[in-house]
Amino acid sequence: MRQRLLATAIATAVVAGLVTACGAGDAADSKIHLTIATFGEFGYEDLLKQYQTEHPNIVVTQHKVGQAAPHHKELFTKLAAGSGLDDVEAIEEGYRAQVMAKADKFNDLSKIGPADAGPDRWLPWKYEGGKSKDGKLIGYGTDIGPLAMCYRTDLLQTAGLPSDPDGVKALFSSWQSYFDAGKTYVQKTGKPWFDTSTQIFNAMHNQHDVGYYDQNDNLVVATNPDIKKDWDAVTQAIADKESAKLVSFGNEWQAGFKTSAFATTVCPAWMLGSIEQNSGPDNKGKWAVSSAFPDGGGNWGGSYLTVPLQSKHPKEAAELAAWLTAPQQQIKAFVAKGPFPSQVQALQSPELLNTTNAYFADPKTGALYADLAKKLTKAQYKGPADGQIQDDVFAPALQAVEQGKSAADGWQQAVAGAQKAAK
Amino acid sequence: MTLTRLPARRPEATAPVVARRDRLDKLDLKVSPYLYVAPFFAVFALVGMFPLLYTAYVSLFDWRLGDDTAKFVGVGNYTELLADPQFWNALVNTISIFLLSSVPQVIVAIAVAVLLNTNLRLRTGFRMGVLVPYVASLVAVGIIFGNLFGVNYGLVNSVLDFVGIGKIDWQADRLASHLAIATMVDWRWTGYNALIVLAAMQAIPPELNEAALIDGAGPWRRFTSITLPMLRPTVIFVVITSTIGGLQIFTEPKLFSAMPGSDTGGSTNQFQTVTLYLYQSAFDNQQLGYASAIAWMLFLVIVLAAIGNYFITRRLSR
Amino acid sequence: MTRRPGFLVYGLLIAFILGSVFPLYWSFLVPSHGNDILTDKVPPLLPGGNFLSNAQQVLDTIPFWHAMVNSVIVSGSVALSVVVFSTLAGFAFAKLRFKGSNVLFVLVVLTMAVPTQLGIIPLYMAMSEFGWAGHLQAVIVPNLVSAFGVFWMRQYLADAVPSELIEAARSDGCSMIRIFWHVAVPAARPAAAMLGLFTFMQSWNDFLWPLIALDQNNPTIQLALEQLQAGYYVNYALVLAGTTLATIPIFLLFVAVGRQLVAGIMQGAVKG
Repeated sequence: MRQRLLATAIATAVVAGLVTACGAGDAADSKIHLTIATFGEFGYEDLLKQYQTEHPNIVVTQHKVGQAAPHHKELFTKLAAGSGLDDVEAIEEGYRAQVMAKADKFNDLSKIGPADAGPDRWLPWKYEGGKSKDGKLIGYGTDIGPLAMCYRTDLLQTAGLPSDPDGVKALFSSWQSYFDAGKTYVQKTGKPWFDTSTQIFNAMHNQHDVGYYDQNDNLVVATNPDIKKDWDAVTQAIADKESAKLVSFGNEWQAGFKTSAFATTVCPAWMLGSIEQNSGPDNKGKWAVSSAFPDGGGNWGGSYLTVPLQSKHPKEAAELAAWLTAPQQQIKAFVAKGPFPSQVQALQSPELLNTTNAYFADPKTGALYADLAKKLTKAQYKGPADGQIQDDVFAPALQAVEQGKSAADGWQQAVAGAQKAAK
Repeated sequence: MTLTRLPARRPEATAPVVARRDRLDKLDLKVSPYLYVAPFFAVFALVGMFPLLYTAYVSLFDWRLGDDTAKFVGVGNYTELLADPQFWNALVNTISIFLLSSVPQVIVAIAVAVLLNTNLRLRTGFRMGVLVPYVASLVAVGIIFGNLFGVNYGLVNSVLDFVGIGKIDWQADRLASHLAIATMVDWRWTGYNALIVLAAMQAIPPELNEAALIDGAGPWRRFTSITLPMLRPTVIFVVITSTIGGLQIFTEPKLFSAMPGSDTGGSTNQFQTVTLYLYQSAFDNQQLGYASAIAWMLFLVIVLAAIGNYFITRRLSR
Repeated sequence: MTRRPGFLVYGLLIAFILGSVFPLYWSFLVPSHGNDILTDKVPPLLPGGNFLSNAQQVLDTIPFWHAMVNSVIVSGSVALSVVVFSTLAGFAFAKLRFKGSNVLFVLVVLTMAVPTQLGIIPLYMAMSEFGWAGHLQAVIVPNLVSAFGVFWMRQYLADAVPSELIEAARSDGCSMIRIFWHVAVPAARPAAAMLGLFTFMQSWNDFLWPLIALDQNNPTIQLALEQLQAGYYVNYALVLAGTTLATIPIFLLFVAVGRQLVAGIMQGAVKG
């Protein structure tokens, strides 16, 4: 009896499935249907409602994926399959190089987009970052991740290091001074100075004019002296026991915050929330954000909105993307979910400048990051395999050194790996 | 159900029909088997064949994901692969993890099946209990084992530290990482295989055992001379499917990596398996042609291993 | 009936099951306490009182019920179809003699050896050609049959159905389908129940293909759960509350199907 019940239930489910599946077709109306695919929190939910109210002939559906990795996996699969992409697709900074290598699959927004979405809307380096090698505008900038240095005031004090905002400026004025301070800290406390060498290395790397590639897409990993200099400095810091060897975003890294396993970490604007969550209420007021960042500034993360060629309504899609990335809208998104705006005007808005975060020792974080964002002047050119070289070559090679490989062997691994990835 | 659409014989009584009935009967005998296996091949032709041929075709090109002008390279991807140390490294890792996980898994699965095949109280509860790990969603599996085998804060290392063995770097050390991954595999799949073996054990007619019991055969004797030989088709099934599954091992090493989402299999590819390398080539490096060549090479290796295992198992369980 | 097994058998089994269950139990402990226990050297053994609030947050964050219904539809159809077709094909391969059967069977097994990771690009092309992309049939149809299932049913039925029984039925003038229905199906029941259970669970936990093939606004449960990891901070308590909730239907299925697994094989063979 029970078996029959089960069978009936399943059969009903099957029929229901077919009906649902067939009933989900497009409504036959004259409205233009647009879709937008995002990941994480872009803060667009209310904005899209507003847009549809202001444009009664347009219906927008948002597709959200939680994390960046599956979102981009889907993006590239559908790019390869030739169909299925949304009219507007978000791309993250870390995948920018891979997307730009396929610029011919995207619309040139400078051609189809509205006139008011011009270069002067964004910070210059962010606008340039949205361009392909041949000068097509592939993406409108949404948010950025200006880099600051976060530090534990209490831990610096126990090591006898200065911990007030002005005092730490000297520690964080250059990478040299940063690593020197780390050495002192390790000697005094016996504990590591920073969480992971990878993010330090990436921050240093992105400050150079030329990165893994030159402008002509030649791989210069082996010949660019800056890269080797960074490598030597970071691996020396590892040898000096400055690294807690915790992989960013892993569960051990999260635990490291709670157990006060390290005293400093590179912290882009969007990371403040995760520092707070990871460190927990017990450590409230102990973390501080410094307005000084070694050797200038930096950026980690942030996204763009693109319109793939697959879109059937490219013009309308570009208009939507342009509207969403206008300063007024990005400010609202910032207030809603916190992505730090990349638009010049938005960086001057009182909503942003007056933003405070009570978890941190000096809570005026909005103004601080706005200043740091303006310190950046240009974007490093990213070659086709830049993303893999950073994440799948240099990050593992540094991890290998943290796990005991010699710096020289690690370097060999990195150079060989980069050559393979760039092939 | 679908079954009613298959030719059913109608009982008819009149004499002239007998000849027709015979013919129908013959047709039934001849055609039915093909009808029964047809759905599998029909769906496979619809959704399995195209991807297969597509992959074979792509493997002959230097084809980047989303590339419209791929260059034909013939067997170039295959010759390159044979000279690729990362591929051989991945193959060694795969075989190592496969052996570390499969051998104990099959033995323990048979042992657990024997235990479950007794006249237990709460039988259903026990049977379902061993299958519990298979219920876990992969997200949970990743979090669970990330925390168990965490280098600094993991439970396993806390215990090892407590008993004086000291912490083991499960991520960095090649063999340790293989052991940890094999543990993940066995946790998920041993109970599952035990139930498969159990189902086959239950199909053994009890008369056989009873007869042996009357002849005075002990439990071990009965197990080796009745149960094991009768289990042969199932053991072959378990061995072949775990060979195939084991050599395609993907989920566990991917979830095990301390770098979330990474496909490198550790800092020096120390636990990168062939499928993980395939996946990295396809979706991270976007070299679909090369990835397809890896897929076909792996296919070849699996077929060879499965054939080898088939003969070994047949011989052993004879 | 043979006598009850001794203490040793129970002890070993209980140890094995504890090892099997504990990790999953721990994944329930985290949402019932909170993320703090992740850094505890020794985790607590009893659940705390926070599970319901975390579960409530899951329900507020993702379209949980919608996703559950979708997953039940998808996994239910896939499991049912795999069981039916595998039993049919397994029976044919195990007990019927027909030309090319060996070659066809080897083909079935060979299809298992094909790594599936690369299939998603061409499969997506096919699905969008059929106009199925974004709809549930895109995740149902490719999984309607399973080589694993055919292989399993063949191996099982090879021994479970005595060939003499089929011969006898045939000489009585039974048609093939009647033999299948009255001899093979009852004998196959435990194996079929197991196959159904396995297939259901596998389909339930599938992530990558549904991610590509489905519309995120019409998700399966695993797709919906992924959205709990939005943002740069992973709230393990929330994520694990979600995964725990998502296993409840499978446990219900366990209870429903469990008795089938115990049902002996002999009754079927005799009935035929």
